Amino acid sequence: MSATGDRGRRPGQHNPTRAPDTRLTDVQRGESISHQRTPPGSGKTTERTGVDRREFLAMAAAAKGAFVMGFWLPPRPASAQQSEGTVWYEDPEAPEINAWIVIEPDDTVTVRIAQTELGQGVWTSNAMMVAEELRCDWSRVRPEYASANRDARELAPEWTLEVMGDGARDPNGGGEPGFGNRARTGVFGIPDSLYRRMRTNAAASVKDGRYYLQLAGAEARERLLLAAANEWDVPVNELTVRDSVITHAPSGRTTTYGAIARLAAVTPHPNPETISIKPPGEWTLMGTEQKNLDVPMKVTGETVYAIDVSLPGMKWAAVKTCPVYGGDVAAYDFDAIRDLPGVRSAMRLPIPDTALTRGRTFSGGVAVIADTWYEAKTALDRMPIDWTVPPENAAFNTANMRQALLDSLDAPGTIRVDEGDVDTGFADAAQVVEATYSTPYLPRARMEPGNATVLVTDERVDIWIGDQSPQETRFSASQITGIPEEQVYLHMCHLGGGFGRNGNGPQAEQAITIANANRGTPIHMLWTREEDFIGTTYRAMGMARLKAGLDEDGWPLALEVRIAMQADGFGPTASFGGASRYHAPNYRFSNHTTDFHVPVGTRRGVSQAAHEFYRETFIDELARAAGRDPYLYRRELIARTDIPYKDDMIRALDIAAEMSGWGIPLPRGTARAIALEERGAETGRSATISAMVHTVSVSRNGTVRLERVDVAHETGFGLVNPLSVKKQIEGQITWFYNDAMHQACTIADGRIVENNFDSFPLSRMDEDPPEINIRFFETDHWLIGMGHDRATSVQSGIGDAIFQITGKRFRDLPFSRHDLSWG
Amino acid sequence: MAFDLEVNGVRHSVDADPQTPLLWIIRDRIGLSGTKFSCGIGSCGACTVHIDGQPVRSCSVAAETAAGKAITTIEGISSDGSHPVQLAFKELDAPQCGYCQSGMIMSALALLEAIPDPGDADIDAWVTNACRCSTYYRVRQAIHLAAELMRAEQ
Repeated sequence: MSATGDRGRRPGQHNPTRAPDTRLTDVQRGESISHQRTPPGSGKTTERTGVDRREFLAMAAAAKGAFVMGFWLPPRPASAQQSEGTVWYEDPEAPEINAWIVIEPDDTVTVRIAQTELGQGVWTSNAMMVAEELRCDWSRVRPEYASANRDARELAPEWTLEVMGDGARDPNGGGEPGFGNRARTGVFGIPDSLYRRMRTNAAASVKDGRYYLQLAGAEARERLLLAAANEWDVPVNELTVRDSVITHAPSGRTTTYGAIARLAAVTPHPNPETISIKPPGEWTLMGTEQKNLDVPMKVTGETVYAIDVSLPGMKWAAVKTCPVYGGDVAAYDFDAIRDLPGVRSAMRLPIPDTALTRGRTFSGGVAVIADTWYEAKTALDRMPIDWTVPPENAAFNTANMRQALLDSLDAPGTIRVDEGDVDTGFADAAQVVEATYSTPYLPRARMEPGNATVLVTDERVDIWIGDQSPQETRFSASQITGIPEEQVYLHMCHLGGGFGRNGNGPQAEQAITIANANRGTPIHMLWTREEDFIGTTYRAMGMARLKAGLDEDGWPLALEVRIAMQADGFGPTASFGGASRYHAPNYRFSNHTTDFHVPVGTRRGVSQAAHEFYRETFIDELARAAGRDPYLYRRELIARTDIPYKDDMIRALDIAAEMSGWGIPLPRGTARAIALEERGAETGRSATISAMVHTVSVSRNGTVRLERVDVAHETGFGLVNPLSVKKQIEGQITWFYNDAMHQACTIADGRIVENNFDSFPLSRMDEDPPEINIRFFETDHWLIGMGHDRATSVQSGIGDAIFQITGKRFRDLPFSRHDLSWG
Repeated sequence: MAFDLEVNGVRHSVDADPQTPLLWIIRDRIGLSGTKFSCGIGSCGACTVHIDGQPVRSCSVAAETAAGKAITTIEGISSDGSHPVQLAFKELDAPQCGYCQSGMIMSALALLEAIPDPGDADIDAWVTNACRCSTYYRVRQAIHLAAELMRAEQ
């Protein structure tokens, strides 16, 4: 029986009483390859994976994917071989204290990470949350990916299910995790399967996971102490622990976590419901700047991304899908390429089941399978393919889509907020200001093109992938192959960029489909860059019309916001949906939807990033119409609202303005612009608030330079790793610089036109701001998240600076498509 | 067709179409995966390696053109991350997702070998790699630090 009272343990599942090297990832250790029959005389097999340790070692040694994070798999003496009846994650030499924590005799602590590292620092911050409570030696903490397979088999411990405390305003509690449901294939909530939330999205890894990751560390610590107390026959409250060393001061005895871990693993917690977590005032590790634990592997090229996975007997697949979404293959001529070097076969890829792509319709296509990817790709390029294109989709182009959005803005739309009497407000106004804005389709364009390696046998599915939704990919694998989720093993790899959970597109589904048709052969499917632009989802193209009636002093009497996007493009954050953070006594907000064929999803910043461009630019326009300073104008409009956290918003503006030298004259050709950034404030619960001042120059020939950014960012009750927060802010600034200046995908004959970095430019060093100043200020709530939604103000900031310098107001992004010259 | 390539000081006999981009020979035939594929058109620089000390986009160079020359990949600059450029990138915690960083480091190294004390304009001119996480701010600081470390070594 489980010592920790895990509900979901099935008979025969042992609690930690097994073997070796915690330095292996789950992947390496147990999500190993069992498709091969156990070689005669090779030893015993485990009941669950059917894999022999020695066979696994041989396989792992051959598979570069086994060295994820470069943790080498050392040879293991035969005497230490896994014994019959144990499962792969139960190792008597490195006991698992609970599902998140394994402790080796030398005090190495392995912390299992259920989110995916894609540069945001979750590999480090999740480990910090566990280690804070565990009070182990941080220098000996080793993260590894949590097993999505185990997550399919076991339920979460009871003690992780209830959030303690009183929500977002309670520093002693668990904050406000995003529970919507507990379905095990849950998309919106946090499932009650073993690792709870395994997806990586919404900048919510801290918000959603903090309380139970802290609990996991605390539960383990209390059991380690209890085991030591039992061993010494002393009261547990006489023990102290620091950096993995347990001390009993009255007797002068000490031991270490590594020494007591085996005993702790079989010592149940008598009353886990009493476990509490440290409030921010007691943090010693959380809240300190910690370098990311995986960075050393990233400067040597050792980090294994999914693209680097290589298995014995593996074949490569290149894919081409219909460039018009919803299209499919009519015919292809494999005979034309059959004899090219390395080519093995070709197969049709059906349009992915929309039940597996959250309702998005991608395209059908063809895969060519060859010995190497370059052979597959070059053969595919030479293979004649005829497409079946839905004519209604092929009729779309940017011009008629823009017109459709404009038409929808003229229609009544769906009114979301209607406070006061907007029409009377306009009638009473001294002046009315109206502006129409547009933002283009935008993909994520992560650096690592979509790919996955999949091996399907009649018994199980193994997937090596960088994936922000492993629980959903597990479900997809089961649906496509008919093999139960309990037999699906995901070997998680770091992602070469993420930027939106569903932006991974159908990379897994396509690879699984190909491998399912080639059972027994590992298939590594890799998209070209161009195919990655088809396989991703886009932030929806959008338009907005904002209208304000101002009184004689320039303050709004009425504000109307109309936003048009395709129906599924609004994303989770409508962002104008609650109270307006800028006061207008009469306020109306409406959605206007169109029906376009491009699959849209949660790109970094989601639809809110576009909405912030509309909103903050319009506020700048109103300030200019009122003849008022845009900083002080914002400040006053916020002060007039009753939106929660308005004092924090004002502080953010004040700090950013002060940092930037707001008001100090700049040379001709340089200007400052300010904007507020907030998410969640109108709920009065979790929120994140920041303000930025952008100092921008525009040369006479129209070259824009973001010279300097001053950032005031709240900490809430506490930031887990302020260094990662700084890095995220720095990256976000350049992300939205690109959105503002360069990036757009247009549509012609239903196709995405820009599909590589020549036509879809990524800024380089020479455009990066030379100065970024970040100042944190303390606030009294938990943050809703930190990451994807910051620095949206770069868009309005550059726009307003261009206006100040050139006299020209541009309302259609990106700015580089306009004539920015002046003088 | 077989041809020889010298990568990180080791000679490899490669049996492949000599027109195959060097990137794929390095990754698939020689088995060094630190050099990355991203755009395939020589734009982003994730595939940057050195040929006779010069940085090249290996996705857009036929492998045979590198025959008889010294190819250096990220794996060749140190075995343990101890090269000053690597130390500096670690000190600044520069990588985020890390995918572009091999190429970024190779470009930075080429710069520092040519210009030991580069100014910001030199960095802009030499390090033209794309980073979607936008680590440029820290990469620039890391290059300046690496320059100091390399000068101190001499």
